[in-house]
Amino acid sequence: MDLFLQQTTNALALGGTYALLALGLAVVFSIMGLINFAHGELMTIAGYVLMYCGIAGVPFVVSVPLAICASMVAAVLMERIAFRPVRNGSGATMLITSFAVAMILQVLFQNFISARSQAVLLPAFLSDSFKIGGMVIGVNKIVAIVATVVMLIFLDRFMNHQKTGIAMRAAAEDFAVARLMGIRANTVIAGAFALSGLLAGVAAVLWVSQRASVDPLMGFTPVLKAFIAAILGGLGSLRGAVAGGFTLGFIEVYLAAFLPPELQEFRDPIGLCIVVVLLLFRPNGLVPSSVLKAVKV
Amino acid sequence: MMTSPRIHIAAAILAIIVVTFAATLAAGMIGASIERTLTVFFISLIGVAGIGIYAGNSGILSFGHLAFMGIGAYAASILTLPAPLKAATLPKLPGWLAATQLDLLSATLIAMAVTALFALFVGWAIGRLEGSAAVIATLGLLIIVHGVIIGWRDVTRGAQSFFGVPRETGVWTAAIGCIVALVAARLYRDSVSGLRLRAGREDPISAGAVGIRIRRERLIAWVLSAAIMAMAGALLAHFLGAFSVKKFYFSDTFMLLAMLIVGGMTTVTGAVTGAVVITLVTELLRRLEGGFSVFGMDVPPILGTAQIGIGIIILFAMFRKANGLAGLKEWEERVFRPAAERSETAKPAELQEKSTLQADHLTMRFGGLTAVNDVSMHVETGEIVGLIGPNGSGKTTYLNMLSGLLAPSAGTIRRGAVELTGLTPPEIAEHGIARTFQNIRLFSDLTVDQNVLVAALSTKGGRDARARTHAALDRLGLLEKAAEDAGTLSYGDQRRVEIARALACQPSILFLDEPAAGMNREETEDLMARLRGLTEDLGIGILLVDHDLHLINLLCTRIAVLNEGNLIAQGTPEEIRKDPAVIEAYLGLGKEHQSARSTKREPQT
Repeated sequence: MDLFLQQTTNALALGGTYALLALGLAVVFSIMGLINFAHGELMTIAGYVLMYCGIAGVPFVVSVPLAICASMVAAVLMERIAFRPVRNGSGATMLITSFAVAMILQVLFQNFISARSQAVLLPAFLSDSFKIGGMVIGVNKIVAIVATVVMLIFLDRFMNHQKTGIAMRAAAEDFAVARLMGIRANTVIAGAFALSGLLAGVAAVLWVSQRASVDPLMGFTPVLKAFIAAILGGLGSLRGAVAGGFTLGFIEVYLAAFLPPELQEFRDPIGLCIVVVLLLFRPNGLVPSSVLKAVKV
Repeated sequence: MMTSPRIHIAAAILAIIVVTFAATLAAGMIGASIERTLTVFFISLIGVAGIGIYAGNSGILSFGHLAFMGIGAYAASILTLPAPLKAATLPKLPGWLAATQLDLLSATLIAMAVTALFALFVGWAIGRLEGSAAVIATLGLLIIVHGVIIGWRDVTRGAQSFFGVPRETGVWTAAIGCIVALVAARLYRDSVSGLRLRAGREDPISAGAVGIRIRRERLIAWVLSAAIMAMAGALLAHFLGAFSVKKFYFSDTFMLLAMLIVGGMTTVTGAVTGAVVITLVTELLRRLEGGFSVFGMDVPPILGTAQIGIGIIILFAMFRKANGLAGLKEWEERVFRPAAERSETAKPAELQEKSTLQADHLTMRFGGLTAVNDVSMHVETGEIVGLIGPNGSGKTTYLNMLSGLLAPSAGTIRRGAVELTGLTPPEIAEHGIARTFQNIRLFSDLTVDQNVLVAALSTKGGRDARARTHAALDRLGLLEKAAEDAGTLSYGDQRRVEIARALACQPSILFLDEPAAGMNREETEDLMARLRGLTEDLGIGILLVDHDLHLINLLCTRIAVLNEGNLIAQGTPEEIRKDPAVIEAYLGLGKEHQSARSTKREPQT
């Protein structure tokens, strides 16, 4: 039972990070139909800022907001430079553009920073852990869960009560009509990217705080998972992204914990088989986006 | 059967063979290193063409095709690996496999067959997924196969290098493989199945309505492309001699997809263009990677120059040409523009079904909203029935139920003695019922001729498809525009193409959803004459939805009126014009009625 609770905590922490990343992908996708594979590089940028701040001796309370800001700025720049020219292209066009952006950024990291993994100095309390009953829970896990909850509440407030957030939801429903109502396309899209950068930055801080290192390809795996989570949840639906992120987190952690040792090697394939089977039963995701249903004939 | 002019196919195949051989000969004269580069290029091109067969024609991007390439590579290598080496490196291999040692050709063919079978199973399982779920399923396939290859050490050596494969792939072998792949891709594109799949890519809903079973066509393309990928894998393995599972994962997936998308997904010309451009850039930049000097200045070595270069090429190509460098047409389609093939003039087809279409008590509920409430109607062949009503009265929903797009919440639809309730759109089309759409749903990137032809090919077993296409185009006066892309036509022409496409299904009953919308008076008059022709010459029954009451009154023998989902009147045009319920629905109550009502209401408020 203790083991189960402990793994559930781990699953919440991992799933929360996936959910934040999936949300970042979903915010952008719902508005402009782009699946941004370069989202992972936003994470990497935030990770490197943390690393340099650690080297320069900047206190952690300052370096975290700096890292998140860097990721937001990078996201907005990415949109301005790379994605604006292909805004009206097909899904494949935008997807391949984001590959190209990711590839270029990775090579730049390799050349100007290092091809190898770099250590990130973290405050000591993050690696502490404490005991509740028979469970040993890392502070970083608690931080991840708390940060996820805070971000989800913030996002909910933002999307439902802020003018920009409401404009984004309108644009996600029907971009053309939203523009006719006086919502500026550039503002909404830049806002969506800034938001996705914010989410990627927070996710990066959480990710790095579990691993204490950063490398040029750091963002690839978590964003791949987030991509799967976003579609599992229902691409374009924000609630779906959260549901998908947590579902994937639970699948991975429980498989790692409870699969018999001889099957551990097949953990990833089994996890993905579960995802595909879930999709077969719910082809539009766990929480389908409302836009998908409205096919007018 | 090929659906495009013979000269296109002939020119394409000839060019593929000549260029491939010429390149191979030229490389042989220059030297061994160029030959190796060309071999790698040919193998990449096989892969790009393989992905293109599925992704280009279906419009669904696939991340999973490198899994097929991997399966092909491992399957073929296990078959050709010398038996003594097999005993040493793979001691736990089952006996019958350990003893086999085949030549490259048979091993490749077996690998292709095995992979195709696997793809058939996978495609059957994930074939019902659409859109992004389909993409993620292919991504899942890649990761799952990768994981299984790593885990299945007894057969694959896991994550370690698989070595000792006889290096039998020379430049000529790769060239022949490349020709086979490109010709297969080119032929598939303009085969009946390929044309249907492309129609489905353009518009899955109207594709279903003209009888296309889109999942089946997708599965055909999926299996064929998997076999081609397996060939690429087998050839690559026997070129490298030693390889590991990493070769069939994300980085190469991205590379092949980049080639395909930069060149243009939908054509073989595009696949070749993309592969050439990206290979050239890679090779050029790789030479510069170790550092070079310009005008006496030394440029230091930069790690990953090639990758950056490819990234920039992709960005540039996508900014300038979002559909890829080669666009949406094959080169030969741009160069050769033959006049439409004259086919034998079709004899007016005899109506095969003369039975009445009878819909009883049809009801459609969307959640709490009842869009159509207990409406019964019938349509006979040879008559034109009007279906009118204010906006939102349920006319299109009614048509959608009759044509199989929506399953009614209650009620039955029958054709004579045959029950049609709950059938899919392609099955309805097979029962002699065709339709057009309120919002035009043409296959925009296909020509007018192909739009109509694909409908003829997908109904009535595709018999006399050419003649039926010709007859339908002729009847709607579209023969001159047959070679133009449907998406470039004027609104009125597009509506006529939709009718021609429906007509090519050889229907005995035709549903037209606002065929005159957006037409001017002259075009409407012309349309009316043609519609009358359909009933008088061919005996087709028409169910006509339109807001143009002038058109409805002149054409229809009977009119049904819907309001808020209820059938409020049915009868001859004269009866309908005088019906008070209809007048109220359209014009509201007269002034005196309204004031009478409001005075009545006042005491309550």
